[in-house]
Amino acid sequence: MLTVNNLNSGYGKLQILYNLDIEVPEKELTVVVGPNGAGKTTLLCSIMNIANVFSGEIILQGNSIVGEQTHDLAQKGIAYVPQMGNVFAELSVMDNLHMAAYMLTKAEAKDKADQMTDIFPVLKKFIHRHAGTLSGGERRMLAIAMGLIKNPKLMLLDELSTDLAPIIAERVMMEVARMRDELDITVLMVEQMAKRALEIGNTAYLLVSGEVRYAGKAGDLLHEPELCSMYLGIKPPEDNSEGFELSISEDELPGSDEGSEDN
Amino acid sequence: MAPWLTSGLIYASGLALTAGSITLLYIATRTFNFAVASMATIGFYVAYTGVTLYGGLPYQYYPLVLVVGAITGFVCYYGLNRPLLRRQAAEITLMMSTLGYDLVLLSMIQMYADYLTHTYKIFPRRVTMSLFDFELFGERAAAFILPVIAIGFLTILHFFLTKTKFGVAMRATIENPTLAGASGINSDRVYLVSWIISGGMAALGGSFMAMAMTGTPVMGMYTIPLMFAGAILGGLGSIYGGILGGMVIGLTEYAGVYLLAQQFGPWVLGYRMGIPLFIMAVTLLVFPRGLSGIPLAKIIKNWVGQKRGAGK
Repeated sequence: MLTVNNLNSGYGKLQILYNLDIEVPEKELTVVVGPNGAGKTTLLCSIMNIANVFSGEIILQGNSIVGEQTHDLAQKGIAYVPQMGNVFAELSVMDNLHMAAYMLTKAEAKDKADQMTDIFPVLKKFIHRHAGTLSGGERRMLAIAMGLIKNPKLMLLDELSTDLAPIIAERVMMEVARMRDELDITVLMVEQMAKRALEIGNTAYLLVSGEVRYAGKAGDLLHEPELCSMYLGIKPPEDNSEGFELSISEDELPGSDEGSEDN
Repeated sequence: MAPWLTSGLIYASGLALTAGSITLLYIATRTFNFAVASMATIGFYVAYTGVTLYGGLPYQYYPLVLVVGAITGFVCYYGLNRPLLRRQAAEITLMMSTLGYDLVLLSMIQMYADYLTHTYKIFPRRVTMSLFDFELFGERAAAFILPVIAIGFLTILHFFLTKTKFGVAMRATIENPTLAGASGINSDRVYLVSWIISGGMAALGGSFMAMAMTGTPVMGMYTIPLMFAGAILGGLGSIYGGILGGMVIGLTEYAGVYLLAQQFGPWVLGYRMGIPLFIMAVTLLVFPRGLSGIPLAKIIKNWVGQKRGAGK
């Protein structure tokens, strides 16, 4: 789906990423982890032409997208959910959804907005409220809904769990896994909550100081004790052969009344 | 109606539009537009040319004023602002570029004034536009018509920004350009429309102000401190705040100078600009975020609560 070859990029004259090679297979969840300042967000910003690409290739389905305007990339099917400022705080929830569906016709946008409120019922309750008044978890749900509403081929998710309570962060992670499994969406996710991300991801990249230190299966990175403890601050599991198990019940997932935040 | 109120309403309606124009561009493109001065003057000259050469009332030329003002905004965006924004120019660079554009426009205005003099034998360098007005209820009609046009313009702008898809997209881009781009909104179009609306507002504001003051090629340069004072008083964060700030600055200038001249004599007239600037400074000391930062809803709620409490 997306291939990044020998990418060098940064902001202004400041280079952040060095000779980066990333492959994002179709309908899979690719996870990028690493310590603060590793360049994880810069990778997503480089793909979206928000950061400056100095050299290298970014190829989406066989076509180079380097230098294309951000709104053109959105029209090509890339949905980007930034870590911060991922909703329009001054607009209502409904207007946020309509703006995210800007490329669709009015009727299509309305249909898709209805679908999103079905997937995330918590949004229905606050549909006319300003997004700035939502709680952290509700905002993330809205941000994901704004990404999904575009019918994306590829979703770029930047640190969805930041500032969220652990239980809410888990719900958000489960939503991401559900997007891949049920909606067949290709996801490139940058995440600080490394352990959870590696448990649900297919492929993983460990970025350190703008360079790739690990590339391979996501679960296998958890069995690299040196990398895990040095860069991710996690203790490798003694036996993780079972893979990821849900630590919350389906009832707690967004979309169920019991699990939704209500404030 | 008191004389200061008649002129004050006319002048303040124009100043409100120019202050709104400055604010709109600042929040949309981070650009303090100094060219608003000459854009306003161009608005005056379009209306003046119309009434002098073709007759009628100044009001009937306002649609043309809007179009010409919009064109000056369009040219400035494509000629200057867009290339600089693409190079991620600093705010100071964006601001100084509009000063350069203002000087170019000012030169063109001077040439146009000379052209009118030589070709039509008219004298456009000191113009009293109020001579072309008519009386309504014993007052100058502009005192009624111009505030109504200004409010009508604001209502249409509000409808555009809140009820139309592109208007909401403009608000979204102003709030978060990165997210708007990621949503598929073309920020380039949003900035262009902001410049077009802003140019139209500035020119219309200038044509209004010329109904209360002497129209000259440098009238914009003379009044630009007050246009910016209105925008700053409004808080620079909201178009509506900017328009309200311009209205307050315009009215206080006329009211203040009238009241002070009655007390201390006509020498006060020389310091007329100081009055609204003083009021702006005091307001900002109390409310650093300007008029749009005043928690009106909270104040009204408290006031209603106190009234109810007193009634029990």
